Amino acid sequence: MFTGRLRALARSMSTAASTTAAAYPFSKNVIIRPATAIPQSIPLESLQKGKGLMPFLQTALPPPEKRQWMETLFSKRHPDRLLPGTVVTVITAHAPNTFSGVVLSIRRRGPDTSFVVRNIVQRTGVEMQFFANSPHLKEIKILKKSGGGGGRAGRRARRAKLFYLRHSPLKMTAIAGGVKG
Amino acid sequence: MYGFPCWKGPKFIQHLWQVIDNSGALLVECVNVLKNKVTNGWGSVGDEIVCVVKRARAVSAAQQASASAVKVRRGDVRRAVVVRTAKAVRRPDGRLVKFDDNAVVLLNNKREMLGTRIGGVVSADLRMKGWAKIASLAPKVMSHISPARCPY
Repeated sequence: MFTGRLRALARSMSTAASTTAAAYPFSKNVIIRPATAIPQSIPLESLQKGKGLMPFLQTALPPPEKRQWMETLFSKRHPDRLLPGTVVTVITAHAPNTFSGVVLSIRRRGPDTSFVVRNIVQRTGVEMQFFANSPHLKEIKILKKSGGGGGRAGRRARRAKLFYLRHSPLKMTAIAGGVKG
Repeated sequence: MYGFPCWKGPKFIQHLWQVIDNSGALLVECVNVLKNKVTNGWGSVGDEIVCVVKRARAVSAAQQASASAVKVRRGDVRRAVVVRTAKAVRRPDGRLVKFDDNAVVLLNNKREMLGTRIGGVVSADLRMKGWAKIASLAPKVMSHISPARCPY
């Protein structure tokens, strides 16, 4: 049902970045990045056999700017990493182009790393789970760090997953008061 | 993805749904999901359901007198389309969207809206399933469609 839409997406992606589509004879909608941009720490023959393929793809597939801030945001120890309770705006390649809200949870699974952002839109709570490595995810802007602000509301969340915010709108407004969806 | 083997929508039968249009009904209970011949009660956003009105706004005297005004009373069996589910719905790029409650919009037998306004967010999967008219009436649509198809 949505294969037509997927094809349109692939087409738009390929027109942006493909240089020599003839180099890959099996598909017209393939993105070929310039060879210089790809870090080649593992020899190509090993990669073609599948050795070290996933860590290589993790570094090679996203564009270098995105890879950099993604490594910081989703690292486990970096001081500027995404913490649950941070108020963020997620910018995607297609609608809804921006979605703001509180980060409820970060699920670290390498390529499947995802995070859930919650906001109240028109009196209804909406949660969106974004996958960090998706090419449609353009940017994550931090509006308010977890633990920012003074007093009781300013203490960082003492949980890794803030699912309790679903049932306490007061705490939700304390963290994300006034952030539009 | 709608064909995912491990992804099943919520079970709708006997569940209570908020009505977010101004047709007069407030709460309905699903009785059947009109998707395939046999759905076993499974469904998702954009599916038509048959429901019984459990709670409705009082019909004013003016409305009772008028012959053309839509009168939705408690106990009516109506059709509705699902616009919001508390169960997450998967988008083609892998994103998941879920709402805090389950909501429907009442329809007549010709698949047209009974009410004239919608008060609340709706899911963009409505547009994908062919309910563009209802999606356009909503004050806010949590959308996902690529810019090629979607006007904004």
